[in-house]
Amino acid sequence: MMQGLGIKEQGLGVAMLVALMMGSLVTPAQEIRLDGVSPVKKPHLVLLTDGVDVKAGAEQTVELRFRVDAGYHINSHSPMDDLLIPTTLKFVPGMVKVAGTEYPQGEIIKLTGSGEGLDVYQGDFKVLVKLVAPRGFSTMTGTVRYQACDSASCFPPKTLAVRLAVTAK
Amino acid sequence: MFVVVALMVLAGVHNLRERRTKLQQGQIVMMKDNAAKGETIASLGSPAPEDDLRGKAAPGFTLVDLAGKKVSLADYKGKPVVIDFWATYCAPCKLEMPWFEEFTAKYKSQGLVVLGVDQDDSAGKEEIALAAKRTGVTYPILLPDKKISGNYKLGDYLPQTFFIDKNGNVVEEVIGGRSKDEIEADVKKITE
Repeated sequence: MMQGLGIKEQGLGVAMLVALMMGSLVTPAQEIRLDGVSPVKKPHLVLLTDGVDVKAGAEQTVELRFRVDAGYHINSHSPMDDLLIPTTLKFVPGMVKVAGTEYPQGEIIKLTGSGEGLDVYQGDFKVLVKLVAPRGFSTMTGTVRYQACDSASCFPPKTLAVRLAVTAK
Repeated sequence: MFVVVALMVLAGVHNLRERRTKLQQGQIVMMKDNAAKGETIASLGSPAPEDDLRGKAAPGFTLVDLAGKKVSLADYKGKPVVIDFWATYCAPCKLEMPWFEEFTAKYKSQGLVVLGVDQDDSAGKEEIALAAKRTGVTYPILLPDKKISGNYKLGDYLPQTFFIDKNGNVVEEVIGGRSKDEIEADVKKITE
């Protein structure tokens, strides 16, 4: 990089570089601000299962594992209050036929100061899906509708896209 | 060249030490990955600085209540006002609402006004009315327009509550549900 430059120019370049380095020693350390706000709103629920292996042509039950972020809960499939949003999984009709869906029992929690309970899912939970798949590879797509809260606040209802790879032999 | 490289290394080490020291001193706020706006590891409580309306004039609005009547913030000029943003799906919101109803009676002589502004996206007027009825509140429940959540810089969470003094200024702004005593302490800030 310094080839072709005279000694004077090289010395000037080094001096400038040294000045920059010295400047970084005395200026305040770079402030890390991660609250500069991701525009993406946090989902609070993720699908952990991305694929299942099944026997072709026969009705089987597969497990879809979900995870609710620590510190949050979502309503179960059968919340106690009819105005609360139940967690509901739906698949788009396709090559894989869905014969039924079984949701786990929720846990009952109570908000501080409230006598009423909430029927919720927290942490990891499984939804069982009965299906019949043709031989080969198929992709099931669908959605989970849910609504998350923590102990003091709630987020609007959200829809999680579901995509499941099914290998049937 | 060796001297230059050595200086670069020294500068980097110095900056790293500075950052670690500031982190330990709490000068740098670390957020969870993909944290929602204003959300911190500890808890929700106060808005992010750029969204904080405290000390500022409360944004005016004209909304419609469940009976279809227009209600403006200006209608309550000279009175202390609590604006509570809630939704039918929000259990912490519905836990607090009966307390706000109690405070409208307790601080009636001070002219306290409470307005509940619904923030449901998909619930119809009947569901909103049913939810409000179940809480037992009689204070006005208002339906939102397209501007109010932006004007009040609302985040992706409820409840959000604004305490406005008789001069029309936001004295306190709170995110999330709280105890009855904590809420009453803020009511006293605008009624005394």
